[in-house]
Amino acid sequence: MTTLSRVASRTVSYVTLIVIAIVGIFPIAYLFLLSTKRRIDIGDVPPSLKIEWSVVVENYKEVLFERSYVSSTINTLIITSVVVILSLLIGTPAAYTLSRLKIKGSERISTTILSLRFMPPVAVAVPILLSMRFLHVANTRIGLIIPYVAFSLPLVIWILIGFFDEIPTEIDEAAEIDGANKWRTLLQVLLPLVRPGIVVAGIFAAIFIWNEFLIGMYVIDSEALKTVPIADAGLISAQRPIDWNVAATVGVVTLIPLLIGSMAIQKHIVQGITAGAVK
Amino acid sequence: MLYSLGISFFEFDRVAGKWNFLGLGNYKEILSDKVFWSSILVTGVMVGVALIVEVVAGVSLAIFFGQKLRGSKFVRAILITPMILNPVVVGLMWRALLNPQWGLFNWFIGLIGIDSPPIWLADPKWSLWTLIFVDIWQWTPFIFVVVFARYQALPTDVFESARVDGASPLKIIRYITLPLVSSAVVFAAIFRGIDSFRTFDLVYGLTFGGPGRSTTTLSFYSFENGFVYYRYGFASALSYIMVIMATIGFSVLLKWIPVRRNH
Repeated sequence: MTTLSRVASRTVSYVTLIVIAIVGIFPIAYLFLLSTKRRIDIGDVPPSLKIEWSVVVENYKEVLFERSYVSSTINTLIITSVVVILSLLIGTPAAYTLSRLKIKGSERISTTILSLRFMPPVAVAVPILLSMRFLHVANTRIGLIIPYVAFSLPLVIWILIGFFDEIPTEIDEAAEIDGANKWRTLLQVLLPLVRPGIVVAGIFAAIFIWNEFLIGMYVIDSEALKTVPIADAGLISAQRPIDWNVAATVGVVTLIPLLIGSMAIQKHIVQGITAGAVK
Repeated sequence: MLYSLGISFFEFDRVAGKWNFLGLGNYKEILSDKVFWSSILVTGVMVGVALIVEVVAGVSLAIFFGQKLRGSKFVRAILITPMILNPVVVGLMWRALLNPQWGLFNWFIGLIGIDSPPIWLADPKWSLWTLIFVDIWQWTPFIFVVVFARYQALPTDVFESARVDGASPLKIIRYITLPLVSSAVVFAAIFRGIDSFRTFDLVYGLTFGGPGRSTTTLSFYSFENGFVYYRYGFASALSYIMVIMATIGFSVLLKWIPVRRNH
């Protein structure tokens, strides 16, 4: 290859790279920009890039306090943490069992668990609502936590099985020879080894909850208990026109925790998807 | 799950607050429902088109990023962002971008000479394609990440020896890269296919099933019946039909994949 054509192909590559970056980031940047506008300035095409801080403060104040996104965010954080912790507490031993102990039909159990993922949430939303009513926990945090744990578990178990399978069984055997029983093997030997898997599974469960609103919309009625996605969904109704500056601000408020989270844990996300892909 | 199967045979009477047994009535009603058939078509077109484009684009991206350009790590981080976003917010965001009066998207294509663009979301001719486009924007990264992860894990010496033997880059991609990543591609495509089959939240945020019925997917139709019209029994029966379709589709796919692998 001549130097000239090499330079040319490099340039093409970099231009492509920049285009990809713009296509990926542009809509999100636009959302940020809209959230800094007054209602009447939304119609300016192209929008001016000048940011008036007083308008920014006003928009965010409305969303955070008047629309109580602060409490929604805290609420979501509480629910997310409880669900993640519970799913990991139940999911880790379950994944260990399915990966290690030779129970009759364990293959079948794991495929069944995986197939639960293919259920459309719409299919179970109504039954979940009715079951939660039956348990008298509809419209409470617990009523949301129970179905969310149920939904996260297949994912958590499935990711963790992959991680447990990667650990050679010789390690278990060595621990057993040293006199550890199954629980001690799991807790003291295997758990540290699957820690990345646990992180990944937790992240996926958290992302799921941060985006789930369908079941939430059925189960939760009261304003105070709404999670962020449920509140977001309430913003849209077919009849009323949307206040775009507020909507954009809501969008930004929803995105920020996820963006911060994902920047911090990007490596793990990729790892988690890979863990699935390797299987 | 059994519970929902149970109520799919009933009809909830809101006035009396009790359940009436209908037997297969709900199912019969669905099968003779025009909207049901149109939503099957909508779902089918959406899954088919979106999946094909996403797979092709995702795999191309993975190969492109294999070049290890400077700054590509940063762009990769950007690229992962869409898929972790809340689909309702994604829907809203694109509704703003595509707004017929002030959306930036129309302004942008105006710059390159298209003066009278269609009203993307309000025109039944375009709305489904717009929905598919946004789905592609959000989910191509998923295919990309899965395939790229596999691509990175491949031993490099295979590529090197091919290069030494004088194979052109295109030939390397065709005969070495693609076969080696094919299982990851299949895995990603199945997951994507299933998820897009049950697409609901994006529709909710972007078009609310309209205009008319042009973007009503099966999932959305079931949601509408359950949540908007409180026809729980009908909604459950509809979801059951979806589950059956998904199961059949999935087992057919599973049969088909090993066949492909032998080639």
